Amino acid sequence: MTTRAVLLALLLGAGSNGQLKAQGYRLRLDTRAQAVGFRGVQIDSIAVGDTVSGPGGGPATPDGFAVSCSGGAPFCTYFRPGPARRGAPLVTTADLTMWGFGVRGVSAHATARAGVDLGNADVWPGTDPALQLLAGYVEYAAERVTARAGRQTTFSRLGATGFDGASITLRDGRRGIEASGYAGWGLARGVALPITSPALNPLDDFQPRQRQLVAGLGAAWSAAVADLRADYMREVDPRSNYFVSERIGLSAAVRPAPGWSVAGGADYDMAAGWWGSAEIAVGYARRAVSASLGARRYRPHFDLWTIWGAFSPVPYHATQAQVAVQALPQVQLRARGEWYRFENSETATPLVDVVGSGWRGEIGFTARPAAGWTFDGGYEREYGPGASSAGASATATYSPVATWRVMVHAATLDRPLEFRYAESVLQVYGIEAEADPRPRLRVAFGATRYVDDHRRPDAAGFDWGQWRLTLRAILTFGRGGGDELGGLPPAVRRMPGGGAAR
Amino acid sequence: MRHATAVLVLALSLAASRLSAQGGGAGFDHEKHRALFPTCASCHVGAVAGGVSLWPEPVSCAACHDGTIEKVVTWSPPRVPRRSNLRFDHVRHATSAGTKAPACVACHAEAGAPRMAVRPAAPERCLDCHAIRTAHLAAPDSACAQCHVALAQATHLTRQDIAGFRAPPSHADPRFAGADGHGAVARQAVAASCATCHAREFCYQCHAGATPPRAIAALASDPRSTAIAARGAPASHGGNFADRHGTAAAAAGARCSGCHVRTECLDCHRPVAAAGPGYHPAGFLSRHPAAAYARETSCSDCHSVGGFCAACHAQAGLVATGVLRSGYHDAKRFFLVGHGQAARQSLESCVACHAERDCLTCHSALGGRRFNPHGPGFDANRMRRKNPETCTACHGTAIPVR
Repeated sequence: MTTRAVLLALLLGAGSNGQLKAQGYRLRLDTRAQAVGFRGVQIDSIAVGDTVSGPGGGPATPDGFAVSCSGGAPFCTYFRPGPARRGAPLVTTADLTMWGFGVRGVSAHATARAGVDLGNADVWPGTDPALQLLAGYVEYAAERVTARAGRQTTFSRLGATGFDGASITLRDGRRGIEASGYAGWGLARGVALPITSPALNPLDDFQPRQRQLVAGLGAAWSAAVADLRADYMREVDPRSNYFVSERIGLSAAVRPAPGWSVAGGADYDMAAGWWGSAEIAVGYARRAVSASLGARRYRPHFDLWTIWGAFSPVPYHATQAQVAVQALPQVQLRARGEWYRFENSETATPLVDVVGSGWRGEIGFTARPAAGWTFDGGYEREYGPGASSAGASATATYSPVATWRVMVHAATLDRPLEFRYAESVLQVYGIEAEADPRPRLRVAFGATRYVDDHRRPDAAGFDWGQWRLTLRAILTFGRGGGDELGGLPPAVRRMPGGGAAR
Repeated sequence: MRHATAVLVLALSLAASRLSAQGGGAGFDHEKHRALFPTCASCHVGAVAGGVSLWPEPVSCAACHDGTIEKVVTWSPPRVPRRSNLRFDHVRHATSAGTKAPACVACHAEAGAPRMAVRPAAPERCLDCHAIRTAHLAAPDSACAQCHVALAQATHLTRQDIAGFRAPPSHADPRFAGADGHGAVARQAVAASCATCHAREFCYQCHAGATPPRAIAALASDPRSTAIAARGAPASHGGNFADRHGTAAAAAGARCSGCHVRTECLDCHRPVAAAGPGYHPAGFLSRHPAAAYARETSCSDCHSVGGFCAACHAQAGLVATGVLRSGYHDAKRFFLVGHGQAARQSLESCVACHAERDCLTCHSALGGRRFNPHGPGFDANRMRRKNPETCTACHGTAIPVR
């Protein structure tokens, strides 16, 4: 289905050039290649009688792997280092905008990706299927209305929702009022694929047999001092007419004084009958200081075609703060922190003690001591349930002119886990370079060395030091717009005639 | 040989500079010819009569420079108009000034200098006559348009010319970048002065919102104006804005769409498999358990749990296969018995490795061990109303009614 959709979009694009005679277009080709690797684990077993006593007194294999033996089972299980897996994903993204079909305000947009893993088959997620259409729609945009038809993604409080269908936005700019609606066949969450795609079911688990129908409404009011928005979205299984999800979201941002803002939002799961995630933050941003203080609540959302919502995931509540200060004209200092605590899950057991709260923090700086030079460094630490980490990183960038830059970077990281003996110590260092050899071409290269040591008291500790290489080339083509718009934001650059059409 | 080359290069340079001087007229030695030309208009008729070139005809030079009386010169008047944004025209200026029209030397010579000691007109002389008692760039905002045309009308200026514009001292004030600075100036109906150096595209470098201020709309469009680089992202985008932009974007997405296009959103929200470090820093793969367990951000906004997390964990051998075993979580001896809290705290992490069948081994009313998975906040009736098929996974057709 996706392949056909991409081909259809490409054919439409070709047809547009030939028959509709688009007066202008912009095409951006972004090709990236990466050579990566990782090494996981592989489950194994050993007869209880073949185990020996390990260094800690527990059972182990003769070659030193700690094993787990269930009472009465004839075999014990353990995880030995898995094979090194090499991936080399190569992905090209084409982003096309066309306009000038004879009707003012009509344009066509398409974003598609073609990807292949040149290493072991499907080692690196994201290249299956090989062709993916992220967006492909025709748009009519006027002062009071914007309408789209085709594959599109709408962004709201309820997330990034992809669908094949139609959307319309009506607005009264004088009063700052906007109303929108959309409907169509939905895509899966977090990916531009239908939920029926085999690529989304690697565990051979429950999976819907038909794509869900999705529909949503939004209403917004915007003024100089405040923005308000409400969103409603429902997804329905067309086979049974049962709900897949039904949620509402509320968002607001208030700017009571220059530099000050209060932004917040919340979503309510009407299908589960509980509040989902919410946050509110007071922000201050002027030339030398950017700071915010806020509270956050997070609860995951699960569609009703899974059973996970019935397992009652509990939310956590967090308090967070961040500040960035331009201490000197050449030096910016930054710090941030977050403290969180999960709600009572009502599952306490005397046998297992699980951490229920945690914190995260980071301090860092960015310095530009001389023209073309940028130094950045930071220390980050987090402690919480499941896993913790602590590490420092630093980069030095030299960019004497806007057309090229070179960066060297290094980082170190400790990562203890709560539920598994696998304290990992990682060291990273590498180099990146980027250049614009021609006005419409950008190329980039990166090489990074990862030295990862799994500190574990038995033989299951292993390292998987590796090099990661990245290559990137961006080509831009265009006709019908200004050629000297490099300094303008993308939204202005892609307008017919550049910024003149605003 | 090297000396010969140097001499040749020097000779060519001199010849080029001479030709350049002849072409532009700047090399003409007015002082030397002072006895021949009693008035400026003798050669520069266009300065006093409309419709006539400001420059003399080359043939008039040849009257003397014929190779006999004087050596031949190969001068010709400039063929392209001067790259300038001045609105000055000699005849119109003289006509409008009437009896107050200054003599040529008033602008083209230093005060007290001999008549033919000419030089290009200095802006300060214009300011003197027009009673503007400041340095050129410090002139009041309302004064620019008196002598200069708008940038969009100065069609002969190149991007390099525009990039070389010197900023007025008022622009160096730290407050000038704010709404109380240049914003107030622009609102005071002096857009014509702003237009001397700027056009709409210059403003769009920062003011790219859906409804830009009215003063910007009053400006003409001219892509060359981006040759002057404006400030980048707004102050609100500082710090870790990428992590916390969601709330502001949800409240007022239209503000974002003034600068950003959806493809930019998709770059992160639908990530490229071959992308190197970007939103996540290098080494994040090793750090991600800590960020993911108590979601630092909502991972599922950008990553499919099935197509990304589980797919990668399957390759790494982390997913449960066959009969459920407790060996992986070996840091907690009785983890299988006491996993409930960990699961309810981060169910998204669990499902990145475990399929529903793993949990239904115990948590099912249809042959499992019938451990009730429903916890705080569970509304059975509501869920049954919305989608009873969810209930049948554990309860079959005998869905209990509460």
